[in-house]
Amino acid sequence: MELFRNTHFDFLGRKWWFILPSLLLTVAGLISLVVNGGPRYGIDFLGGAVMEVRWEGPPPIERIRTAVSSQLTGVSVVAAHDATGSNEVLVSAEVPAMTDLTALRQTLDHALSTVSSSYSIRSFEAIGPQIGADLRRQALLAAGGATGGMLLYLAWRFRTAYGVAAVIAMAHDAFITFGLLSLLHLEISLTVVAALLTLIGYSMNDTIVVFDRIRENRRASRREPLAETINQSINQTLSRTVLTSGLTLLTALSLLFFGGPVLHGFSLVLVIGIIVGTCSSIFIASPILLAWEQTADRVAETRIALPQGGVR
Amino acid sequence: MNRILIRRSLLIGAIILVCAFFIQHWPVRLGLDLRGGASLILRVRVDDIPSTQRAEVVEQTRQILERRINAYGLSETPVQSYGSRGNELLVQLPGVSDPTHIRNLLQSRAVLEWYSVDDGPYPSTADALARHGGILPLNRKLFPTRSAPDGQRAWYLLDRQPVIRGTDLRGARVSAGPMEQPVTTFTLSQEAATRFEHYTQAHIGQRSAIVLDQEILSIPVIEDVIRDTGQIRGARNLQEAEDLAVNLRSGALPAAIEVAHERIVEASLGADSIRHGLQAGAVGLVAVVAAMLFYYRWAGANATLALLVNGVLLIAALACFGAVLTLPGIAGVVLTIGMAVDSNVLIFERIREELRTGKSAAAALAAGFSKAFATLVDTHVTTVVSCAFLFFFGTPAVRGFAATLVVGLITNLFTSVFVSRVAFDWELSRHKETAKLSIGLAH
Repeated sequence: MELFRNTHFDFLGRKWWFILPSLLLTVAGLISLVVNGGPRYGIDFLGGAVMEVRWEGPPPIERIRTAVSSQLTGVSVVAAHDATGSNEVLVSAEVPAMTDLTALRQTLDHALSTVSSSYSIRSFEAIGPQIGADLRRQALLAAGGATGGMLLYLAWRFRTAYGVAAVIAMAHDAFITFGLLSLLHLEISLTVVAALLTLIGYSMNDTIVVFDRIRENRRASRREPLAETINQSINQTLSRTVLTSGLTLLTALSLLFFGGPVLHGFSLVLVIGIIVGTCSSIFIASPILLAWEQTADRVAETRIALPQGGVR
Repeated sequence: MNRILIRRSLLIGAIILVCAFFIQHWPVRLGLDLRGGASLILRVRVDDIPSTQRAEVVEQTRQILERRINAYGLSETPVQSYGSRGNELLVQLPGVSDPTHIRNLLQSRAVLEWYSVDDGPYPSTADALARHGGILPLNRKLFPTRSAPDGQRAWYLLDRQPVIRGTDLRGARVSAGPMEQPVTTFTLSQEAATRFEHYTQAHIGQRSAIVLDQEILSIPVIEDVIRDTGQIRGARNLQEAEDLAVNLRSGALPAAIEVAHERIVEASLGADSIRHGLQAGAVGLVAVVAAMLFYYRWAGANATLALLVNGVLLIAALACFGAVLTLPGIAGVVLTIGMAVDSNVLIFERIREELRTGKSAAAALAAGFSKAFATLVDTHVTTVVSCAFLFFFGTPAVRGFAATLVVGLITNLFTSVFVSRVAFDWELSRHKETAKLSIGLAH
C-alpha cells in the first residue's frame, strides 16, 4: 500500500492555509494568557499540597470543596477521569506561608473526615514554596538550554538559516501548546513541562527530516530555484511525515486513554504537540528557511552589484 | 549462505542473550511512585551557623539521618544532598507510608539531657513566674512536659546546666519495662558515668528531669546511685520507644530540619500506575505493529522484530545502569515505541524511493540504509540534546523519564540500522532468484 506516490502539492503556495489558523490560535492563546493573568501553574511550581483520595461510591465534589476550603485557600477538587471509571479524587490546596508541611496532611485529612469516613488517602504530596520557585527556574533553564543546544547543533550540521528556521518553528509549537493549555484551563505541572520538552525534541525531528532532504536535493541540483527544491523535498518526505506522526500519535493517544489520571496532562500535551509540530515543519519552518535564504541572496546580489554599478 | 550474514545474526542473538541475562539478574528497580513509599526533601536550618561550618553541619546531618534510616534496614543509599543551595537533602524511603513514623525518624533532633528539678509543676509559664515574684531565679529555666493526649502540659523549673547531655551517650536500646511497657534504656560514656555517679549519690530522694528536644519526657525520683545506665519511660507504643532508641544511637542532629517537599505514595496506587502504564504500552504497541504490517507487509514484520529487540535492549540497559523506572519513565518507554518505529519508517520510505527509480532490491536496500543514516543521526542527536536538559530537574521522576528516553534512542539507532538490515539481508538471500522485497509496493 502507498499513501502518497509522486505527489506534487504546492505546499509553499498554500502556506497561508496553515499560518492563518496558527496565528489565530497564537492570538487566542495570548489573549487567554493575558485574561487569566499568566499561565496556570500547578502546585509543583507554586508550592502546595495534593492528595489523591479513593472514594467509596460517587464522590461529593462540592461538599469536599467546601469542607477543605474552610481550612485552606486556593482549593481545587477534581474527580480524575479514567477509562476504568474508578472514584479517584484529586484535592489540592495552597500552602499557607511558614506552616509545617507535615501538619498539612492532618489538616486535609481532618477536613475530609467531616464529609465522609469512606475514603482512603492513596498519595500525598506537599511542596514548599521555595522548592516550587526552584522548579520554575529549572524549567526555564531546561527549555532555554535545550533550545540553545539544538540551535548550535543545527547551525553546525546545516547552516545558520536552517537552525534558525527550525528553532522558530519549534518555539511556535511550544507556544501554541502553551496557549491551548491556558484555553483549556489546564495546569502546568512538572510532567506537563517534561512533555513540552519532549515535544521540542519531537518537533525538531520532524523538521530535520525535511531539511535533510532539502539539503540533499540542493547539492544535487544547485540551479533549481530554492522554492521548488523545498516543495519537492516536502513531497518526497510526505509519506514518512504522515506515517511517523500518525504512529507516534497512536502511542500518545493510547497513553491518553489508558495511561491513568496521573499521566493525563502529559499525554494531552503530546497529542496536541505532535499534530501542531508536524504541520509546522511543513508550513512554518520551510517558508522561514525560504524567506531567510532569499533575503540573504538579495543582500549578496546588491553587494556584488555595487562595485560594477560604479557610482553611488 | 553468506558467511558475514550468519556472523551478524549470531552477534545479535548473543546480544539478546546477554540482555536477557542482565534482566534476569538485575531486575529494573521501580521508583517510589510505582512501588509506594516516601520521598522527602529536607532543609537543614543553617541560618545561625557560621558559613564556614555549614557544609560540615549538613554533611553530619546527612550521615546521622542515614544511620537512623539504615537502622531499620530501609534502603541502601537513602540520603543524598540535593539542589544547588547546599543545605537540602533528598531522602527516599521505599515502602514507608506512615507519616508520623517518618516524622519521628527524620525530624526529631534527639538531643537528650538530664537536669535537676528545682521546683514545679506549674500549670502555665505565667503561673510559674507569679510564684517567683515575676522573675525566674538565677541559673534556672522553665521547661514544658510533652503534651498529653488531651493537649495538657505542665511546666517545671530546672537547673540551667544539664547533668548529662546528648554527647555523653554511648548507646540505647529498647527493653520491656514493668507492666510490659516499652522502655528505652541508654548507656553513658565512661567519663559521664563517673560524673553521673557523683551526682546521683549527692541527690538521692530528689527529683530529676529527662528532657528530649526541649520537652520533659519524665520526672524520675533518684532512688539509688546510678552509674552508667538510665531508662526513659512514657513511650506511647513500642514503635515510638524504638524510634527514640535509634535516634539516640545515631546521635543528635547538629541543627533543626524542616520539610521542604514531601511525597508519600501508597503501594496500591503504585500498582495501579503500573497497570495503567502496561495497558497503554500494550495498546500502543499493538496499534503500531498492526499499522506497520498493514502498510509495509513483510518489511513491517522486520520493523516489529527491531522494535522488540529494542525493547529488550532498553530494559537491559536500564537494569544494567541501575536506573529507576518511574511512572513518567513508563510513559517514556511507551513513547519510544512510537519514535523507534520512526527510524524504520524513514529507512523503508527511502528504500521504496530507490526501488521506484528502478534499482535492484539489493542496491535499493544499500542506498536506502546509507542515505537514511545521516538523517537518523541528526534526529537522534537533537532529541538527546533536549532530553539531556531534563536532567536539570533534580526530581527523580523526571530524571527517570529522561533516562529511559535517551537510552531508548541509543538502542534504537542500533536496532533500526543494524538488526533490521540483517533481517532484510536474510530475506534477500532466501529469494535470490526473484530478488524482490516485500515492502508494500505494488510491482
